[in-house]
Amino acid sequence: MSWLSRHTVVVPIDFSEDSFAALQTARELADEPGYLHVIHVLPDLEPNEPGIIWSTIDDESRTRHATAALKKELVQRDCDDGMHVVIRFGNPGHEIARYAKQVNAGLVVLSSHGRTGLEHLLIGSVAERVVHLVHCPVLVLKK
Amino acid sequence: MPMSRRFRPTTFCLALLLFGLLVTSLWAAVKHQQPPEGNAAGSAKEIWTLKEIEVEKSELTGWEQEVDGFFGKYLVTPLKVVLFYDFGTSRWLNRHAEPVVDCPTCKAKFENVKPWPVDPVSEVASCLKCAAEGKQTQIQIVRGTSVPLVVLWLLAGAIFFTLRMRFINFRGFWHGIRLTKGDYDKPEETGEVSHFQALASALSATIGLGNIAGVAIAVINGGPGAVFWMIVAGLLGMTSKFAECTLSQMYRKVAPDGTVSGGPMHYLHEGLKEKRIFGLSLGPLGVVLGVGFAIMCMGGSFGGGCAFQVSQSLGPIRAKLTFLQDAPWLYGLVLAVMVGLVIIGGIRRIAATAEKIVPLMCIIYVLMAVWILLANFSHIGSAFALIFTEAFRWESVYGGFLGVLVIGIKRAAFSNEAGIGSAAIAHAAAKTEEPVREGIVASLGPFIDTVVICTMTGLVVVITGVYDKGNPEFADVPGYTQMIDTEKGAALTSLAVGTAGDVFPWILCLAVFLFAYSTMISWSYYGERCWSHLFGTRVSLIYKLLFLVFVVLGSVVTASNIKDFSDFMILSMAFPNILGVALMSGKIRHALDDYWRRYKAGEMERK
Repeated sequence: MSWLSRHTVVVPIDFSEDSFAALQTARELADEPGYLHVIHVLPDLEPNEPGIIWSTIDDESRTRHATAALKKELVQRDCDDGMHVVIRFGNPGHEIARYAKQVNAGLVVLSSHGRTGLEHLLIGSVAERVVHLVHCPVLVLKK
Repeated sequence: MPMSRRFRPTTFCLALLLFGLLVTSLWAAVKHQQPPEGNAAGSAKEIWTLKEIEVEKSELTGWEQEVDGFFGKYLVTPLKVVLFYDFGTSRWLNRHAEPVVDCPTCKAKFENVKPWPVDPVSEVASCLKCAAEGKQTQIQIVRGTSVPLVVLWLLAGAIFFTLRMRFINFRGFWHGIRLTKGDYDKPEETGEVSHFQALASALSATIGLGNIAGVAIAVINGGPGAVFWMIVAGLLGMTSKFAECTLSQMYRKVAPDGTVSGGPMHYLHEGLKEKRIFGLSLGPLGVVLGVGFAIMCMGGSFGGGCAFQVSQSLGPIRAKLTFLQDAPWLYGLVLAVMVGLVIIGGIRRIAATAEKIVPLMCIIYVLMAVWILLANFSHIGSAFALIFTEAFRWESVYGGFLGVLVIGIKRAAFSNEAGIGSAAIAHAAAKTEEPVREGIVASLGPFIDTVVICTMTGLVVVITGVYDKGNPEFADVPGYTQMIDTEKGAALTSLAVGTAGDVFPWILCLAVFLFAYSTMISWSYYGERCWSHLFGTRVSLIYKLLFLVFVVLGSVVTASNIKDFSDFMILSMAFPNILGVALMSGKIRHALDDYWRRYKAGEMERK
């Protein structure tokens, strides 16, 4: 994996076991944890969500909560060793691709949920969209 | 990954339910096509249809009429048969009633039974035979009293919860007010908003045209006595609301970013998973009920949360802005754009202002009602007496005692949504670690909605006598009887408040518009949550576009059709919800007893 050395590896995390499994794979691939970027994409909230109506939640508070939750998971899995934790807002596929571009990533590692049929049609696949949109190689881990 | 991915119970149940719905509506549509048995029945039905056409023709033209016809035939009628099945109570209750009426002039006979279980109201039709001879004869056709299953269900649920929770609706009342005031608020607790904010958000969805138009419709169809049963249903409904909102808090999901989602679709799904009866897990039932609820809630958001609001608010507004008389669709279009700006355009400030203004608007509305009541001070006593005596009159002209009771419960449930489960979605967002606490706050909802606001509207309608078709005071108002026949409730309320001064219909216009708008904004959130529960957030644009279609439809389709459609969708949400909540009522009771013990022992920290 010499070509990967000194390249940034982006790992999207959606708090599923599969995504943390992908993180383990990415840790084996990356030279050191400093090159690992863990990204969690939060959906935009509806303008009629109670917390938005009463302005009791905003992007800042959500980022704070999500970062803390993600860090806690990483500590629990014993892999909080200096990797970057990033929170973004919007469509997961687009945001992951945009972030990969921004940090000039060498690889994106993610897992595929394997949705088929109606669920695939309606929910779709983040992995698919990332593969379409991102500028760098993508490693999709099958279940 | 877990088994659920491979099995996909959600998709499976969804497909099953959609299929079931399709088959039943087809069956109902086919059944409706068949002519009723016997010639006499056929002729009665013919007259009924004729009368409907006569009333509707006068206001709808061209494409609007076609849309209305389609809506009535393919949406309302099949739904009516399936969801409001009354188990033959209409036949049983009316077995002593005279089955045949004669035309007073030509003595032609008409069978006196309607093909579908409908609201028990008497109706006037014109005799076809006389009309052919150039004479106008009116025949009084009394529709049978029927007790639709959903009404029994709502009432039984509310009584059961009230007894099971040992009248928490009364004993928790003051505690509820203290909680709402914020005496027990802790900012560091999990959740999005305070108790007051959660209640206000839930009320912005609950308080709508149901409180203004719905009450007038109840009095038109059930007489003054219906107001009494609405209040009773409101008081009992407080416990239904308590139970569902406590559960909603227990099973809410807290996302990593601190946002909360909950509601019947979550607690039916998660809660019943834990429940076992005779060693059998209720998990599969929970999945079916959760998915069923989500589908009906989306329907409810299109009906009562949207089209009904547009349809009824149009009445008083069009009476003041006369250019809307010829182009009601313009109103629907303007509202669709305004709602679209928020739900698709994502403009937060409009949504926030619309919802925050609701409590203020409620106060203004109640003050206006009190003013009108004071202006008619000498009649208040007799109005109350009328409401009480009519509520218990066995042989009431409005379909008897049971008829009045049914209408009161139905309209109360439509207005305060107790047992329906919708408000549980909003109350899940409250900041608290004590589910029971939010349940007690939520139980104030039906009190404010029904016992305070609906009663005000009811008193105004009764005291001004506007519900009585034969009232000479309103005889010269253009389209007055038609207003009553087509159930234009809000227009009637506008007429009632207008008796006290010209400024009041304008205030009512403002109130009606704001209530309608905020209700639509809030209900679109409920519907969107349900849609996301089924299909994920990505495609919620489809839901939002459908919602806007119903905004426009609300301004075009006739008020009765919209009311019927809304009733079916909203009230049927009670089937999965009350069943699930009743099954889990032991858990709620346990949590309540524990909370109440700690509260009484003074273990609760108070500011």
